[in-house]
Amino acid sequence: MNGKPENRLEKIVADLLRGRRLKLRGGDAEEKEAITAAARLAGTSQGPQRMHPAFRKRLAQALEQQPSEGLVTRRMALVAGLGLAAGAATGGIIGRATEAKLVARAGGEPITPTSGRWVDVAALADLQEGHGKQVVAGSVGAFVFRRGDSVTAVSSICSHLPCELWWDGHNGNLACPCHPAAFTPDGRPVDAYSLPALNTVHVRVTSEGRVEVLGTE
Amino acid sequence: MTAGRDSEEAAAGESGQILELPAASRATDIALDELELVYAFIYARVGNRPDAEDLTQQVAMKAIPRLRQGAPASAIRGYLFATARSVLGGFWSVRLGLSEAELREDLMLVTPAAEPPSEEGTETVQRILGQLSDNYRRVLELRFLHGYSLKEVAAEMKSTVGAVKVMQLRALRAAAKVRLEE
Repeated sequence: MNGKPENRLEKIVADLLRGRRLKLRGGDAEEKEAITAAARLAGTSQGPQRMHPAFRKRLAQALEQQPSEGLVTRRMALVAGLGLAAGAATGGIIGRATEAKLVARAGGEPITPTSGRWVDVAALADLQEGHGKQVVAGSVGAFVFRRGDSVTAVSSICSHLPCELWWDGHNGNLACPCHPAAFTPDGRPVDAYSLPALNTVHVRVTSEGRVEVLGTE
Repeated sequence: MTAGRDSEEAAAGESGQILELPAASRATDIALDELELVYAFIYARVGNRPDAEDLTQQVAMKAIPRLRQGAPASAIRGYLFATARSVLGGFWSVRLGLSEAELREDLMLVTPAAEPPSEEGTETVQRILGQLSDNYRRVLELRFLHGYSLKEVAAEMKSTVGAVKVMQLRALRAAAKVRLEE
């Protein structure tokens, strides 16, 4: 922090109390805890804040101009005759009026490491039918699923936020701890977001009944 | 190909009269209502309107196009807040080098089920201040709750401006260490 820290912090506090943007410098990191505490006190001392009407209006305009990456674009809906859905999609979200026709986003490409090697991860006999088992093959994390004598595998990393998935046995899917997204055992998204499918992972069963995943050293 | 689409679109427009439906503005209103909660969440952490507006807009632009139509409100809100946490984490990380672990308490708040009660913010401030020593609490109360200038605080506390500045710094360091139990 340049100069005396109390002077620098006072400048930041004074700016906050005047409703000004936080203008921080490199050296301010030394007082990062005090600065975030000041921001928090300034942000909560007046109670929960609502958007200024002018900002709300600007945001509404931005949302209505934004092209939707979602499942039904306005043009697609027009062509398909999904009028109400088109109106909602133009706003960006949440069309309640009609059921949207689903269009899956890309994803699901296999993970093929450049210098990959097969890594023994489990015995086939140890895998429970319909139950995801998390395994690690070097730098490749996966969930493996047994179907009879064959095994499939998908990446254990969410296709959106890079968080490690967990097996939700109750719902029979892979759930993301970072946001409410979930995937079927074959990697397809099952809930509210138009996420790409999970990457698939190469897996094989040896003649000795061992399950191997293509991973890294 | 383009011509075919255009004629189909024109036909759809004529027969279905779908170009002027109110659904778009309704959907935007729903989104804005959810974004009000996001704005309040962000404002409570950055403490100023310009940054809160920028960050809220970032959340909207990142999250809204990815939401699937017909998603339940709880999922929409959850996704918006997950995005808000990510955007806020990036904000503090870039400006102050704060790590995710350091921001844990600040960002790991549950997604609100409804609009927060109006007294929630001030109650939080009182709970934080309540755990500080008398002098530290007083200086922060006067500045943040009563809007006193440094000179006014010094007069009120019968001290000097320089001493109050140092006390304010120490009080904020102490406030940062307060851990509130839910």
